[in-house]
Amino acid sequence: MSESRLYGAVAEFQTPEDLLEAARAMRQRGFTHMDACTPFPVHGINEALGIRRSPLGWLALVAGCAGCAGALLLQWWTGAVSYPLAIGGKPLFAFEPSIPITFEATVLLAAFATVAGMLALNGLPRLYHPLFQHQRFQRVTDDAFALVVEASDPKFHATETPALLRNLGAADAQLVEEGD
Amino acid sequence: MHDVNQAKESYYLDAGAWSRGWRLLLAGAAAGWAASLYGWATDAYDFHGSYLVNYLFFLSLAWGALFFVMIQHVTTAAWSVALRRLMENAMATMPAMTLLFLPVALGLNTLYEWAKPGFLNAHDPNMRFKAIFFSQPFYLIRSGIYLAVWSVLAIALYRNSVAQDAGGSVDGAARARRWSAPGLLALTATVTMAGVDWVMSLDPHWYSTIFGVYVFSGGALAFLAALTLAALGLQRLGMLRRAITVEHYHDLGKWMFGLTVWWAYIGFSQYMLIWYANLPEETTFYHARFASYWSWVSAGLLLGHFVVPFVLLMPRAAKRSRKVLGLAAAWLLIMHGMDLHWLVMPSVHPHAFHIQWLDVATFVAVGSSFGLAFWHRLRRNALAPVGDARLAESLAHHNA
Repeated sequence: MSESRLYGAVAEFQTPEDLLEAARAMRQRGFTHMDACTPFPVHGINEALGIRRSPLGWLALVAGCAGCAGALLLQWWTGAVSYPLAIGGKPLFAFEPSIPITFEATVLLAAFATVAGMLALNGLPRLYHPLFQHQRFQRVTDDAFALVVEASDPKFHATETPALLRNLGAADAQLVEEGD
Repeated sequence: MHDVNQAKESYYLDAGAWSRGWRLLLAGAAAGWAASLYGWATDAYDFHGSYLVNYLFFLSLAWGALFFVMIQHVTTAAWSVALRRLMENAMATMPAMTLLFLPVALGLNTLYEWAKPGFLNAHDPNMRFKAIFFSQPFYLIRSGIYLAVWSVLAIALYRNSVAQDAGGSVDGAARARRWSAPGLLALTATVTMAGVDWVMSLDPHWYSTIFGVYVFSGGALAFLAALTLAALGLQRLGMLRRAITVEHYHDLGKWMFGLTVWWAYIGFSQYMLIWYANLPEETTFYHARFASYWSWVSAGLLLGHFVVPFVLLMPRAAKRSRKVLGLAAAWLLIMHGMDLHWLVMPSVHPHAFHIQWLDVATFVAVGSSFGLAFWHRLRRNALAPVGDARLAESLAHHNA
């Protein structure tokens, strides 16, 4: 355990307001590799931590467009090029009957990309996280609001950062190791 | 310390602004009705056609409001509470809309081919069943039932909500929820039937089982657009400045986006089945609408009522911009008018694309009457349900 690398510092706050204030203060001091763990969604925490909007919407859009184009191409190629069959006096390819398949494929691929993209962007599934080492971490599912400063942050310092967090009102600030 | 002016919210319209609006609407009603009456006296057929389009336009806002209010109640939605009184004011125009149905009823013999003597005796095998429906007394009784159902629901829900303003009890919310669940069933059944009776029967030979839903979907979308514009307008007048936030507009934008897709989905469902079956008695509807200039209106609807708002409202930033959202809402209302025109006019004037001055005159007449019924409610009552227990939650609403 002792030679394990440092993951970061975890500071525990009692209210969402304290957490927001501390997050803003840390960001003003130039910290960028931060995260918050809270029992419920805290409005404004993304802005306070400087977390940018997820690119997930763009993933869904690209996948949806691919599904749309793919379905149209498939129906046109199979129906009018590869194996043309005139049925009921209908054209070999027309937009009208192709729309349901196109619509479904658009939705399907967009949904797949959204779920898969959400998992990938979150780094899930993941069975272990260094924060599990922290003794009091379970409380963030109950009544504590944790601010995590990762050791990868250029501004991170093993003794000064926890002290700073305590100065900002943290009830408790501890270091957490990677512990692999 | 809170600044007093910041903390105080204007939940009431000031008397000056109210009177200015009231006088403007009165003038509009006087001019609109005078012109409409003149049009009716000179060409009753043209009058009834235009009147039906514009009556449906404002009626669909009222039933859209009723639909949306009941949706908020059955889902116990909190986000929309700050906006709910605006919806309720639109919904409470229902008794006035019942009165405004009179010219439609009076135009029965003029506008509807099936109401003309001798029509039902014509040799059309499809008419045997339809003859039951195509009887004038039965049509009027049905119409009366629809309007009565909507008026009773609207007034009951409105009174219940206003009674809550004094505060204190949460019983009102439970009562509204109990009314709304059966109310939604009654509303959807009657609105779809009204669509069939008042619009589809203009072409008595043609039928489409999804037609009523199509009329309903367009109205629901138009109401969301009108609600967005009403909220933007009142905020510009200085009301509800802090109550309605960008988060509420964001949700209104999501609803408009979703209902745009719903409208297109229903419209396409009807079109595709008719295209595929290609039966002469079914294709007549599109035949008339793909001929001459009407084909441009049809293409315009596909583009303007679906593609443009779909792309415009997709980005998050667009839904959070008052300018873009206001523009989209105004555009969608114009498209709704065009949609109703496209539904009614090719049956009334089958041979040519038809725009007439009576379209404007009846729009002003019905619109200002609808406006008066709406505006009248703003005089005394608060602009938001100030006694609702969930108002605070709505004011703090935040999209993830």
